[in-house]
Amino acid sequence: MGTVHARSMDPLPMHGRDMGVHPDDMIEVQEAEQETKQEVLENKDVVVQHVNIEGLGRTKEDLLGYEISEVFHAKNLVDVMKKSHIARQKLLRLGIFKEVEVVIDTSDGADALPNGLDVTFEVTEMKRLTGSYNTMVGNNEGSMVLGVKLPNVFGRAEKLTFQFSYGTKETSYGLSFFKPQPGNFERNLALNLYKVTGQFPWSSLKETDRGVSTELNFPLWRTNHTLKWEGVWRELGCLARSASFAVREESGHTLKSALSHTMSIDNRNSAIFPKKGALLRINQELAGYTGGDASFLKEDFELQVNRRLVWDSVLSASLWGGCLLPIGGRPSSIADRFYLGGPTSVRGFGMYSIGPQSEGDYLGGEAYWAGGLHLYTPLPFRPGRAGFGDLFRTHFFLNAGNLCNLNYGEGPRAHLQRLAECIRWSYGAGIVLRLGNIARLELNYCIPMGVQSGDRICDGVQFGAGIRFL
Amino acid sequence: MSLAAEAFVSQIAGCRGPERTISRIKQSAEPWPENATLYQPLREDQILLSDCASSLAVQAYLRMCNLPVHVSCRSNAEYMSPSGKVPFVHVGNQVVSELGPIVQFTKAKGHSLSDGLDDVQRAEMKAYMELVNNMLLTAELYIQWCDDTTATEISRPRYSSPYSWPLNQILAYQKQWEVRRKMNAIGWAGKSLEQVYEDVSQCCQALSQRLGTQPYFFNKQPTELDALVFGHLFTILTTRLTSDELGEKIKSYSNLLAFCRRIEQSYFEDSQAGSSSRGYSKGPSLF
Repeated sequence: MGTVHARSMDPLPMHGRDMGVHPDDMIEVQEAEQETKQEVLENKDVVVQHVNIEGLGRTKEDLLGYEISEVFHAKNLVDVMKKSHIARQKLLRLGIFKEVEVVIDTSDGADALPNGLDVTFEVTEMKRLTGSYNTMVGNNEGSMVLGVKLPNVFGRAEKLTFQFSYGTKETSYGLSFFKPQPGNFERNLALNLYKVTGQFPWSSLKETDRGVSTELNFPLWRTNHTLKWEGVWRELGCLARSASFAVREESGHTLKSALSHTMSIDNRNSAIFPKKGALLRINQELAGYTGGDASFLKEDFELQVNRRLVWDSVLSASLWGGCLLPIGGRPSSIADRFYLGGPTSVRGFGMYSIGPQSEGDYLGGEAYWAGGLHLYTPLPFRPGRAGFGDLFRTHFFLNAGNLCNLNYGEGPRAHLQRLAECIRWSYGAGIVLRLGNIARLELNYCIPMGVQSGDRICDGVQFGAGIRFL
Repeated sequence: MSLAAEAFVSQIAGCRGPERTISRIKQSAEPWPENATLYQPLREDQILLSDCASSLAVQAYLRMCNLPVHVSCRSNAEYMSPSGKVPFVHVGNQVVSELGPIVQFTKAKGHSLSDGLDDVQRAEMKAYMELVNNMLLTAELYIQWCDDTTATEISRPRYSSPYSWPLNQILAYQKQWEVRRKMNAIGWAGKSLEQVYEDVSQCCQALSQRLGTQPYFFNKQPTELDALVFGHLFTILTTRLTSDELGEKIKSYSNLLAFCRRIEQSYFEDSQAGSSSRGYSKGPSLF
């Protein structure tokens, strides 16, 4: 009997070979008895008798059972191919295999049925340990970054990563352990241990965080939830001797122990240039009830809706907001407050340079809102279409926002009024470049309006790079 | 004396940071503001002997110069300070920490206690101030952090009192290691407690001899040396540690006792009796 080698149906190359499925090819592969084989291939009932996985080393088999179990329920050959493809995707998503190939064969052996099939997944496991070494230069600092990754540590798709960055000014590191629930990859647990340092010249502040966090992710109906506990030792200091006294007063050590919950619904078709769909993310953080010095309740939300218009242009509207309520009478810390402004939020203003400030250092605020309206169009005259040109878009934008401190003795109406006065807004146009699947670069011409005294503006050309944009 | 000449003279006397003095000549045009504030750690629960002594020295100096200053206690005063040491004063836009730079700062504003001294006396004053800093201050630090009993019972609990667990343990031990490393570097690690008390005694003897029967160390007017000595001796006398030996060493010199009492009466009891005198005289005495 001939061997039927079922090829995968991937439209885009992933980890395996790029293949397109051509049912006609199947027939070509056949030798003689073509017509009889044709009958077998097309839509005749089959039974999947065995599903094997070959090439396992340290991976435990019980983990994989869940991913491949669906294949048993296939009723005809096309169904078998579809379900095998899905199973292959699931196996690759675990992040423990370099390559997965699917082989579908007729059953052999004593208990073989005439219409029985055996499906075999041939996998290549990833190496036990991978390392990377980079050097980075930026912001008057050079550093070397060492990364070590151990995929599939104990055999059930656990992943351990370690990253260490040694720089001329600061060192930082992070150790992370990830464990998915067998059979339910979206439910997973992550433990992190980290030390990061940051310098914030807009506030003349430098911050060193040493922390540990544990995080539980799980899907619920159509939403994704994350529950997280984080304990951080924060050390704040002045970046320069000329820092304002308000920032100097915040120097010192604090301990924050916080529980947070995030809910997100994302049905956009892409994270970077979505053409349709919406994103809603709501986050709560409660600090102080599990120890530590910092004590507050923090809420923030992010909403984005996209709609396709004529001629490949997309209209996108987004709204962000948040508020911080200190609990127990202690004032909020500069490290917890919200900041507004810059190429990633209200364009046309300096980086995080809107709102309360003291002697040129921006102190952040306890409540904010920001909204943006964008029209994305392909580049005029569409150069490089279906290739490099697709990474660019032109966009026209209108951004607005406000940031202030609230006096919690007043009622919510007074707060809303405060946030509605003195709105900063800006408009302009620019070009956006997509970087991979996560980041984008923007070059905009901005005209800021509604500027209040104390804000720093950046009118004219502004460049921005980042992951999360208003 | 013109300001430029003052700067020149202070250079001869070997002040540290002549460039700082010169830059402050520009700010010296501003008078001493009403809202000048001195920052120190929390008085009741946190401040330790050495910091209390330094803070009292600065307060005494400013009172002697007749410059009003408001004392504010913050739990993070040590981290707010630009040099990492307390106390520091916030005057107008300037933040200055430690007695030496504060003396220069006030000099640039035209207030000085050591104007009447000639060069020899000024050099002598500097020498005695170095003696107090190298002997008394170091002895205080040694007793607080290198003596295990004191460190466990007094210093670490007090130093870490504003923080929650486990940050309090981390910060207290970090500070202890830092001080012990410093003691190693200056060669005090090998000393025993008895030797440290002996050193204190010798220092007091030198001070007592210099003071003699005079009311203050130089002439009849107090100088920054008087403020510094007062700060340290008074704090040691009014602070209860695990043992009374340190206080006893000082009490054996009656002219030093009289000196402390005299300064307390002249400069600290004429202002609101009660709050200020009770405030500092209590010191880190909980035991």
